[in-house]
Amino acid sequence: MSFVPRALIAEVTHRCPLRCVYCSNPIEMRSRSDELTTAEWQRVFGEAAALGVLQLHLTGGEPLARPDTEQLVKAGRAAGLYVNLITSGIGLADARLEALVAAGLDHVQLSFQDAEQAQADEIAGTRAHAAKLDLAQRIRKHRVAFTMNIVVHRGNLGRLSQMIALAEALEVDKLEVANVQYYGWAFENRNRLLPTRDQVQETIAIVDAARERLKGRMRIDCVLPDYYARFPKPCMGGWGQGLMLIDPAGVVLPCHAARVIPGLTFDDIRSKPLRWIWEESVSFQRFRGDQWMQEPCRSCERKTRDFGGCRCQAYLYTGDADATDPVCSLAPKRDLIDAVIAQESAAPQWVYRINPSNTPAVVTEPRA
Amino acid sequence: MSELAPARIPRLAAGCRMTQSTDLGPVLLLPESMLRLTGPGPRIVELCDGARTLGDVIASLQSEFSGADPDMIQREVETFLLSLQERRALNFE
Repeated sequence: MSFVPRALIAEVTHRCPLRCVYCSNPIEMRSRSDELTTAEWQRVFGEAAALGVLQLHLTGGEPLARPDTEQLVKAGRAAGLYVNLITSGIGLADARLEALVAAGLDHVQLSFQDAEQAQADEIAGTRAHAAKLDLAQRIRKHRVAFTMNIVVHRGNLGRLSQMIALAEALEVDKLEVANVQYYGWAFENRNRLLPTRDQVQETIAIVDAARERLKGRMRIDCVLPDYYARFPKPCMGGWGQGLMLIDPAGVVLPCHAARVIPGLTFDDIRSKPLRWIWEESVSFQRFRGDQWMQEPCRSCERKTRDFGGCRCQAYLYTGDADATDPVCSLAPKRDLIDAVIAQESAAPQWVYRINPSNTPAVVTEPRA
Repeated sequence: MSELAPARIPRLAAGCRMTQSTDLGPVLLLPESMLRLTGPGPRIVELCDGARTLGDVIASLQSEFSGADPDMIQREVETFLLSLQERRALNFE
């Protein structure tokens, strides 16, 4: 069976002005000196389009931390791709916003941390909220699709209705209410971030009511925490089945977190053609199909729908990347997830994300 | 004025555009999703160029597909465009 990638997530840098406690970047980040050049990204976008990719997500870190983001947008469009910019928006002045739109930017996804400034800035580890509000109003003046993304967790779900009202006031096309996914820095902070079961139920009710009320005006996507699910999510639509991620140094991965799995060697676009990596490399083939599966996945009728869930989560909890995703109610190790849910908030402090130039992960308080 | 009034101008929303995929054929690209277009879909989208009114779009298709029932064409176009509007892919201006 052959698989065609449709989306490319381009993590063009790991540098970022924010220090969010739930950042999806790996703990071990790429430094600026390792980053691909403009010309290398340009070549890769062409290779991706030739493979069948239609959508390009420019992300980071903060993609605007690079001076050439406009050129990357232009290169994506020139390759025939739909270009989405996933940004914190910090420091995005009018002139640059105009240049990005002129370069062919199709869609901006602006992240928010909360509806309240103090709480938002605590999560971001820096003052960012006011600048985002200002930028949101300026984005709306351009002909570009606009999505507001709010990452939700135990600490801010009580303000979900306020967040939806904020999205309405900013007249966004789409709101993403995205529960934290527990990888990268978020895994470090999971005890403080995981919502309660009651909060999850309430989220569903609030989102359903808002969807009904806002039909035709604003779309709302909602991602629930899989720790409370009966069955695992079809992570990335299956390992190496429709999506790929390229990290700042050009290493091609099936997902954001895949580098946590030991024993896998991921190839990079400086030494191998993208097509070869997608079609032939050992790492991309490692969890395709169902030959790698253990029981209960192997004989499970759901395996063609959820592909055994997330390989990274299986590894993070069981130490075995071939295991059934422990969030599955049928997983032999489901008790590991239940133990996390049962735990009261144990961590007294946030572990803030650090930029790639620094080295060890340290626990710090937010900058005033 | 009703959404389906002939004078309304159907236009793809910002961040929605059609492309040609080598293996999927015509595809409507949307923020973080895509829609494969089949049958008269690509032609209808092409006609929604921001200049033609809904009446013009329907009339063009009725003359291009003169063998088909004109009322059926009108209903199909309206249903299709309303479905795009619901996905926030199209506005009636």
